[in-house]
Order: sequence, then structure tokens, then C-alpha cells
Amino acid sequence: MSGGVFGYAALSTRARAMYSDLFSPQDVARLGDAPDFPSLVGALKGTPYGKYISGLKDGEMTPRRVIHQIRTRLADSYSSVIQQAPGDTRPLVRQLFRYFEVGNLKAVLRSISTVSSWNSDLPAWERVREVLFPFGAFESIPAQAMVEAGNVPAAVELLRGTPYETAISFAMKRYSAEQNLFPLEVALDLDYWRNLWGEVKNLQNKKDRDMAGKLIGSLLDLNNLMWVIRYKTYHNLSEEELINYTLPFGYRVKDEDIRSIAAGADIAAVISRVHPDIPDVNALLERPQSGLPKLELLLKQRVMRQCVSAFIGDPFHIGLPLAYLLLSDFEIQDLVVLIEAKYSKLADAEYRPLLLKTTLIQ
Amino acid sequence: MLFGDAMLFPKQMSEVELIVPSKDLVAVAKALSGYGVFHQVDSANLGLDSLGPNTWQEKAGIYASLERRVQSILQTVGLTEEYPDKRDIDSVADLGAAQAEVDRIEGAVRGVSDKLSAEKKRLELLESQLRQIEPIADVNIEVGALGKSAYMYSILGVVPAANISRLRTSLLRVPHVFFILREDAQKPVVWILGPRSNSDVLERAAKSAYLNPLSLPEEFGGTPEQITATLEREIEASKKKIVNLETDLARLGGSHKGQLQKLLWDVHISRVMADAIVRFGQLRHTYVVVGWVPTADLEGLTARLKEASREILIETTDTGRSGHHAHVPVALAQNKWLKPFQSLVGTYGHPSYGELDPTLLVAFTFPLLYGAMFGDLGQGLLMMTLGLLAHNKIFLKGLQSLGLLFAYCGASAAVFGYLYGSIFGFEGHLVEEYLHFHFEPTWISPMEDILNVLSIAIDVGIVILIFSFLLSMFNNIRSRDWAHLLFGHTGVAAFLFYLCFLALVFGGFFGSTALAPKIAVALYNLPIPFTPLLAVFGFFVMFGGFFRNMVEGHTLIEGRGIGGFGMFLVQSVMDLVETGISMLSNTLSFIRVGAFAVAHGGLSLAIFALAGEEPTPGFWVTIVLGNLFIIGFEGLIVYIQTMRLHYYEILGKFFHGGGLQFEPLKLTPSEEEA
Repeated sequence: MSGGVFGYAALSTRARAMYSDLFSPQDVARLGDAPDFPSLVGALKGTPYGKYISGLKDGEMTPRRVIHQIRTRLADSYSSVIQQAPGDTRPLVRQLFRYFEVGNLKAVLRSISTVSSWNSDLPAWERVREVLFPFGAFESIPAQAMVEAGNVPAAVELLRGTPYETAISFAMKRYSAEQNLFPLEVALDLDYWRNLWGEVKNLQNKKDRDMAGKLIGSLLDLNNLMWVIRYKTYHNLSEEELINYTLPFGYRVKDEDIRSIAAGADIAAVISRVHPDIPDVNALLERPQSGLPKLELLLKQRVMRQCVSAFIGDPFHIGLPLAYLLLSDFEIQDLVVLIEAKYSKLADAEYRPLLLKTTLIQ
Repeated sequence: MLFGDAMLFPKQMSEVELIVPSKDLVAVAKALSGYGVFHQVDSANLGLDSLGPNTWQEKAGIYASLERRVQSILQTVGLTEEYPDKRDIDSVADLGAAQAEVDRIEGAVRGVSDKLSAEKKRLELLESQLRQIEPIADVNIEVGALGKSAYMYSILGVVPAANISRLRTSLLRVPHVFFILREDAQKPVVWILGPRSNSDVLERAAKSAYLNPLSLPEEFGGTPEQITATLEREIEASKKKIVNLETDLARLGGSHKGQLQKLLWDVHISRVMADAIVRFGQLRHTYVVVGWVPTADLEGLTARLKEASREILIETTDTGRSGHHAHVPVALAQNKWLKPFQSLVGTYGHPSYGELDPTLLVAFTFPLLYGAMFGDLGQGLLMMTLGLLAHNKIFLKGLQSLGLLFAYCGASAAVFGYLYGSIFGFEGHLVEEYLHFHFEPTWISPMEDILNVLSIAIDVGIVILIFSFLLSMFNNIRSRDWAHLLFGHTGVAAFLFYLCFLALVFGGFFGSTALAPKIAVALYNLPIPFTPLLAVFGFFVMFGGFFRNMVEGHTLIEGRGIGGFGMFLVQSVMDLVETGISMLSNTLSFIRVGAFAVAHGGLSLAIFALAGEEPTPGFWVTIVLGNLFIIGFEGLIVYIQTMRLHYYEILGKFFHGGGLQFEPLKLTPSEEEA
């Protein structure tokens, strides 16, 4: 038996312990009170992130390096969950973790296509490595060799034997014709989420399948909705393109919702039907530049609530560790906002509305 | 003396400083590069402003480029890089002549090689077209005609299997026909057909579903079957053409072989010399060259340098082995029989100049500890044979570098097997019962005398640890590091503390147990007041840092401001506790030698339990497979344990490493570098 009380006793206890280490909204607000970037880093040193940033010397305290180090904590959490999770759930956690590798892959490809415009003495790889997620031993892409390959086709050649080979090889024809990374990135995203959903469906235990479906499905809802709205609003894509660039599954958002948006239905009406608790959707969509990030934030907070609810009731399922990992990621997103804001000396009013945790309690 | 100084210490080095007249620059560079004994120091490290002249930097770049071009030509014509047996170093190659020669041969070779690569590309294209048409080979329609229809629009292509359902959904709003021509888990072939008026919708849907249209050759008309036949004929012709071009290239290689090998040698040595000259320091009319030479080779090099330049000024300084010499490169004596142990030591660290090279000690202790843990006459001899076969590249060629180590460890295991009375896992009455000869332990049977074996293992550990302490003190004396000699973690105070600790803990406290090591018991029985001595030496160990600072004239208490005197006392007490715990664990660590000797017998018994009692063919198959398993599995574990004992318990006591590797200028790469 892979799941149940025996399979999850240790992992659930650990996930709960790690969950209690996450910041409360008040903690995040207090960090936001730091007057500047060095004070924020000083405050972070007294938190569970302290051990990850204490190794940085004063001269190395750039926002990129601090963020890189902070993300190492999330990588460690993933690694720890993967090791302790019951055998049949590990592929799901591994695939969820791969989200950051897909991000790294996109960053590598973007760096290659923009490297010629960089005016720096630093080798390209030195510039890129700091923005990559510290994937560690789970890394399957030869990031450095790709950056050093110097062009996208040669870099993509190096992906042979990796989980991304098939998806990206199909998209390469379009890249060659269009010289644009958009088809490559969309192909990677679709492939990633399809595989993740496939892993959810592969879970043997019904409780695991339900909980993972709820959490991963909510994430998928968020992505699917934001994709279709952005492609329609910013890229003006046709109905058939919108359908092909989205996915037909999720938790609350159904294929019909996506298809109706693609066919020209009122987006606000669809969103209000799926998430009746989101207020003033029309107002948000009227000014997409500021409204869409706000909408995304509200949708992320709905996922956060799903995650928090996973800690209530029966703890012996994969939902607990998954929820912790997602919440930990959201927390780091808040920290990234804080770090960038403090470094750029932004006024409170400019960045506080972007914080997921503090706005959640307002 | 059984082993000369050269085996125990890195080679004695001499520092050489040369003042070279400009006119003899090349000749001196040749003398320095040609014999593999001169380790050059970059003149940039000497503080000389003017480094090698720019012209030489340019030349070095051009020679390097020529060398790469010649290597590329050799590769194109299928020749291997060879250096002449008689390594003449006539002169730096004339750049103009060498360049012209390379241009000429490269031109001839490129003419053919370009045609060859173009033909190979064509073949690739034809083969890919054939693969593309394969899925529709039995569709009896004229493919070319599909695109010419006035009312119908057709798309034929490969699509990611995962996208098919979404592609179908995206086409729902227009009339269409959707065929899957080839079912494939990854890359199915699909055919979409719809009214030409909806071609834009069909195109957008196909494109956004990542459908890659099949690019069928326009020049080949007809049905897929007819196109396939034409493509197959073309492929055959292309292959023949490639064979002919390859023959032409090989012929070119044959006719230019001599010239290419000579060119490679000329540009190679010119590049090495130019690289060396670039690092010379330049004065007004002379050059300064500084480097290191093994003292034994100094005389020969001096003679050759004087031959190369009559006006050269040579100043040499012998470097004694004592004291600190972090900047002196370290050349170790090469002995092919000790090579595996040199690698083991090298993995831990490269000896620094003047430091004892532990290779010889490891060559003795490694097989000894390995054999003691893996004692079996038959398995040892088998391992030795396999090691020798691997070393001589007859069998298990991939393990050639480890062959000798296997052989030594196998021989030692065989000796211990003889002492333990164990042969292929058969021990005691089992030997007579199944092998029909008499064989009994000539020393001890680990399985029957377990506690005694464990006690002996601790004794062996004590001897090795005492020897390691002594070696550490010897190294400190040689480097004149009096502070560490007296108060270091492996210095005199720590050593005497260890002896008292041994006597009281292992000889006194555990003295009455069966595990008590005999050395410790004997020590305890000496009429020496160990308890007060332990307190005295403990005091020196506890405040070792304080006393070391006193001897070296540093601030007596480091980090005085942090935590004050109280914190210093706490740290000192913790130092003493840590020393005591590590001495206990270091000593007990060797118990594993005895434990593995016992475990070896236990594992053999498990194999016998699986095999049964009757000597049937099944019994012997199990015994053979079990022995192979033991050699592979336990052999590896014992290897890791032996390495661990060496790295943590032995080398860590006296060997620091961190030496600068001797990297002489040389014209041809060594076998290892190649």
C-alpha cells in the first residue's frame, strides 16, 4: 500500500511542520516595513530563509543573488517531499517541480535570442545563471551548454533525451519560420500542464487523485483563464488558435468556458460564473494593463485558499505536501516583490497591492 | 636504504633564472621546451611590466590556428595525428611557408570534402522525404494534385499526438474531413480536407496545433508508390557517389600523409615555443626567464642552454626541503608499480614541497587492510588474476587503470585467506567435505574467534594511528612548524594525551573485556602515572590554540572581543571534549577491519545456506554465482571502507596536500594527457 496512514504519516507531519514555518500575512507586512533593501535582507536573516542567505558576502547582496538563494529553500522542500512521498505520487511531485525547469528553459532560450544585445564583459552564462531557479540534482537540461551554444537551433539540439525533446522539436519548425520564441514557449507550457494533469489522473489512490485534482486543477484554471484572456486581449488570436493554445481540463473552469471566450463570449460573464466572489470583473477587464495583473492576483489567492483548506481534515493524502509546496512558492513570489521593491525604492502604494499574502487578509 | 629519498619525498627542485640575449630567444625556448624538465613561471608573476613581445603573441595565435587547421585536414582525410619518432626541433616554422603549404593542401582537400558534405546532406534530405511519404505509401492518390484543387484545401502533416483532440475541437466551426493516416503514440500523420474558402481557418488551426506539413519533393510527381520508387533510386545513386568521394579523400590523405605529419609537428612545436616565449619577461635587449627544474636534471638542462646560447646567464638556487615552500612546484617520482596508490593519494591531495609523500605508506597499508577484511585464498587469487588481466588490457579493459590495485588487493586477500583458512568461502570441515583436501587456518579463524579478531583490529588501528602521529610530527619538524609540532591536533601534546587516553580508557576501563586491545593493556600495566599525565597533556590540548599563538607570537586569544574570556574557556573545554571523542572514534573505527573479516565468513555461510547440503550441480552453480557476488559486492564495499580508513583516519592525521603540480614545458603530450 503506497498511500494511507502508513504512507503519509511521516510526510504529512513534515509538511505540517514546514507549513508552520511559512510567513503569516503579518510577517510579510512586517518585512514590508523594512526601510530599505539591506534592512530587508537583515530581517530575512532571522527567518527560515536566513541559512540560505547568510553565506552571501556583503558585496554579493544583489536582489538577483538573494532571490536565487531564497529559491533554494523551495528547491530543498521539493527535494525533501519527492524523497518522502509514496512511490506512485513521486512522478506527480517531480512533474510539478519541473515547472521551474520549464521556466529555466524559457529563460535560457530568451537569453540566447537576446544575448547579442547585451553590452557586458561578463560571459553570457554568468549573466543567465543567476536568474535560473536552483533546480539542483533534478535538473535535466544542460543549461550552460545551451547558453554557450549561442543560437536557438543548436541549443534545442542539446535537449535530446530530455522530457522536452518531443514538444520542442515540433515547435522548432515554427520557430525557424517565424524567428519568434512564442511557439516554443506555448508548446512547452501546454506539454508541461498536460503531463502534470496526466500524472494527477495516474494516481492510484482516490483521495490522492481528488486532492491533487483540486489543487492542480485550480492552478490550471488560473493559467487557462489568464492564457485565453491575454491571447485574446493582447495578441488578438483567432478562435481556433485560442482553442489550440489552451487546455480542456481543470477544476472549476470547464472546456466550454474557454471555448465560449474563444468564440467571442463576454469574458467578464464567464469569470463571474466561475468565480462569483470576484468583484468588479468588468472594471478589471476594461483596463487590461492594470486589471489583468490584479485579476491574476485574485485568482492566485483563490488557489492559496484551496491550499490552506487542504490542511483541514484528513491529513493522509498527497494534498498536504502539494499545498505546502504551492504556498511556499506563493510566499517566495511575495518576497521577490518585496526585494525588488525595496531595491528600487518603490513607494508602499506601488508594491503593497501586489503582495499575495497581505492583500488576502484585507 | 630500501627506498631512496626520492620515493618518500617530492623531487628536490632548483629555481632557475635566465637572462637571454634577444638573438638567442628561439634557441633557448627550444632547449627549455624540448625535454620536459622546465616548469615555467609566468613573467607576469615577477612584476615585470613588459611581457612577451606582441609579435610573439600574434605568432602564437597564428601557429595555434595553423595547428587546428592541420588537425582538421587530418581528420577530414581520415588520418590520425602522429608525432615523429625522432623528435627534431630544427627551428620555429617559417610562418609564411607553413601557411602557404596548409592553404595548398586544404584547398585540394576542401574541394572534395565540400562535395562530400553536400552529397551527404542531399542523401539525408532524400531519406527524410522517403520517411515522410512512408505513412501514406498505400494511399492511391496523386499527392501533387491535392494542392492544385480549385475548391478543396488540403493539409497533410505530422502533429503531436497530444494535440489531436484539441485540433479537432478547434475545427468544429468549419466543415472539414479529418483523417488519421498513421496512428503513432508520438507523431501521428493526419490529413485535413476542407473547402478552399476556409483555408485560412484550416491553416491557423493546423499551425497552432503544431502540425508540421509533410514536405514532399515537388519534382517527383505521381502517387506515393511512384514517388517512393523514384526516391529509392536517387538514394542508391547518392550513396554510390558518397563512396566515390570518400575514396578520393582517402587517396588525397595517402598522397599528403608525409607532408601533413611534418607540418603538424612543425606548427605544433612552434606553437609550444611561441606560447613559452610569450610568458618571458622582456628587458631592453634581453629576456628574463624564471622557472623550476628537478635538481637531478639541472646539469643536463644547463649544458643544453649553454649550447643554445653562449652569452646566456644562468642563476640557480637550490631549494631545501625544510620550511614552507608553497610556490615550489612538486614533481613526484614516477613508479609504474605504485601508480594506483599515487592516484589514491592524488584524489586526496597533491603533496606540498618538502612534505612526506604518503604513496609508499598507502601502498603498504591499503592492501594490508583490504586483505584483512576480504581474506579468502580463492577469491583473492581470482581477483589478483582479473586485476592482472585488466592491467594488461586482456580482459575488463575498462578497468585497466585499477588493474594493479585489484592485483595487489587480491594478493593480500589471498595471503589473509591462507591465514584465515578460507578458500572460496569454504572453511573448516566444509573444505574436506566438498573439496576433499585438508585446509585449516594457519593463524586465526574470524568466524570462530570473533572477539579476538575485533581486538586485533583495534590493535592494528592503534599502531597505524601512532605511526600517523609520528609522521605528522616528522612533517612539522621538517617544515619547522614548532607551534603545531608541540601543540597541534597531531602534535606532541596531543600524541602523549592519546597514549594516556589509550592506557586509561582502552587498557584500564575496557581492559578486562574480551575486546581490550593488547597494546593498550600493556601500556596500562607500565608503571607510569597515567591519570595525572592525562590531566597535564589534556591541559595543553585544551589550550592548544593559546599555546600555538604564544609560540608563533600571535594574539594569545583569537577573537577576544567575542563572548569574552568565558566564551574562550567554553571553546577550550569543547576542544578537549572533541579531541577525546575523535580519538575514541578514530581508534574504534578500525574495528571495522575485524568486523568485515567476520562478515566475509558470514556472507559465505549465507551462500552455503542457499546452496543446500548435497553437492548437486545446482549446489555448485549457487556456490560459483555466490562467489562472484561476494567478489563484486563485498569487494566493492571493502574497497570503500579501506579508502575511508585511509582518507579519514590515516592521511588526515599527517598529510595536508595542496602542493603546486609540476607542469613542465614539453612538445608532445604525455600518454595520459593524450
